[in-house]
Amino acid sequence: MSPSTTLPGAPRARLPLRRPPGNRLLGGVCLGIAAHLDLPVRSVRIMATILALGGGIGVLAYVFLWATVPTGDPAAVAAEQRDPALARIASRGQQRWDAERQDLWSNVPVRDILVGGLLVVAAAALVASRLGVTIEWSWVLPVLIALAGVGIAWSQLDETERGRWLTRAGGRTPNVVLRLAGGIVLVLIGVLLLVSQDMSGSEMIPAVVAATAVLAGAALVLAPWWLRLGRELSEERAARERANERADIAAHLHDSVLQTLALIQRSAARPGEVTRLARNQERELREWLYKDRPAAGTSLAADVAALVAEVENTLTERTGGDESVSIDVVVVGDCHPSEATSALLQATREALVNAVVHGAPPVSLYLEISEQAAEVYVRDRGAGFDLDQIPHDRFGVRESILGRVQRKGGEATVVSHGDRGTEIALRMPLADTNHKQSTTEERAR
Amino acid sequence: MTATEQVRVVLVDDHDMFRAGVRASLDAHVEVVGEAADVDGAVEVILATRPTVVLLDVHLPGGGGGGGAEVLTRCVPVIGETRFLALSVSDAAEDVVAVIRAGARGYVTKAISGPELSAAIDRVAGGDAVFSPRLAGFVLDSFGTQAADVAVRDDELDRLSAREQEVMRLIARGFSYREVAGELFISIKTVETHVSAVLRKLQLSSRHELTRWAAARRLL
Repeated sequence: MSPSTTLPGAPRARLPLRRPPGNRLLGGVCLGIAAHLDLPVRSVRIMATILALGGGIGVLAYVFLWATVPTGDPAAVAAEQRDPALARIASRGQQRWDAERQDLWSNVPVRDILVGGLLVVAAAALVASRLGVTIEWSWVLPVLIALAGVGIAWSQLDETERGRWLTRAGGRTPNVVLRLAGGIVLVLIGVLLLVSQDMSGSEMIPAVVAATAVLAGAALVLAPWWLRLGRELSEERAARERANERADIAAHLHDSVLQTLALIQRSAARPGEVTRLARNQERELREWLYKDRPAAGTSLAADVAALVAEVENTLTERTGGDESVSIDVVVVGDCHPSEATSALLQATREALVNAVVHGAPPVSLYLEISEQAAEVYVRDRGAGFDLDQIPHDRFGVRESILGRVQRKGGEATVVSHGDRGTEIALRMPLADTNHKQSTTEERAR
Repeated sequence: MTATEQVRVVLVDDHDMFRAGVRASLDAHVEVVGEAADVDGAVEVILATRPTVVLLDVHLPGGGGGGGAEVLTRCVPVIGETRFLALSVSDAAEDVVAVIRAGARGYVTKAISGPELSAAIDRVAGGDAVFSPRLAGFVLDSFGTQAADVAVRDDELDRLSAREQEVMRLIARGFSYREVAGELFISIKTVETHVSAVLRKLQLSSRHELTRWAAARRLL
């Protein structure tokens, strides 16, 4: 039953004391202690119950811990407390600490039982007073009121509780303030009732004024200390964020760039392979640094970039890594991929392969997506070829490039510019509906 | 300006290795008269040497953190006689637009070959604009490629004329200026005029795509 993540032979660092948000009975104190001491939750709970029944020390300890121990997943906190640089780069050795799922007690409505218990006690007190037992109501009522106020004010420490209240209240109300104010008012009323039992009204007013004055003085003295505490806290948070960011970058560099550099050193004798590795790495880094990556299947421009990367890689491998293949890509506009554009992409792929294999570098690809059509121009500086001289049974250009586009209602032409190279132009009409109003907006972000 | 005429160039880039590589790959008629590795150093060197062309990296350390665009704004007094050619590894639109709008006459990526770079320097030195295929792509992307985006009047700053659109499209397709001229049956001089006009629009237009980029970089 105990959350055992200990590896055999590896002494595990103690988890920090936190109250896990899930699977609580009351405030998650026992759960937190169990995680901290690595004990079974049930035995901790039984112990706490025994202590609570035996003289109430357990209740005091529970309330104290509930108020002072912050909420949080111990494992997550432990991971956070490690040096962020280490946490990101090294694989995480620590598993997530999960409170046991199938807890027998988790189905027991503890809150309802508590309320019920209170009502029973109240009823018993009423019955007792009817039977002639004198209960000092003048003491009990103020104490109860003050306790309720304290409970309300302190309960804001409990973050899960706060979340529940917020959702219940619609999430917008200034609940914290309300609760604090309500708690203070209740406590004040309770205390005043307690103290002023034997006082007359005229004696009470100066006492209230004096008490308020003392409180205000204390607040004045403590205010700078509180402010400094808050500022330090936010500064620390900002520093941690920065450290996390740095760690992210370091992790990325480690995963990708260092790997690539190692590979490049190994294949230093093969210039094509080196160029391919460098280009791949460049592309990846660029994407990581400059782009908000569009979701898969929503951007034709991203699909084209992926296609070009794939072609470059395959063709470099085909040459045995001795020659590098590079294709310059310029994309204007964007749209959602459709059946028509996927045919266009396949044809583009064939055209690129054809240009790299039979043409001469540099090979460039231009894709323009407008509301009416997507146009692709694949250009190389080779001598070109005459379409009419290609035998009809050869499938290469005629079928896989031109035929593919024409069958989907597009146009395809091959233009040879003589010594200025060859260009394959493909045009695929688009349905108006799937056009995204230009990507300039997304890119600008 | 003919290709054989001497061109004085200042090289601004924070990577020593890159500067050395560029210096070695430039043609003999391109003379490197100064180098700088950050914004403050660049402004100092440029104002002291008054070169014909500055090869300017977009991402530069130092100064107010504005990078290449900051060098341009601080060199405004010499911008008439000194021309700037932006050089970057970045494809990000905001980088390109930032330096162009700050006054650079062209934008090339660092993957450019030595002879191509020398030719680009000559072109900028001669007062023309240098557009890489990618920059042309940016222009088309931000000015639009629809028939409705074509300028009706010549003095319109927010739209390209039909001819300018055509020229941009060909450059984006990988055509050199010479090839564009051949394709459209016009002279190279006319192509250069069109490209310069586009550059001017890119710098002065208030098209919202451009102004937003500029605003994001606090250039307005």
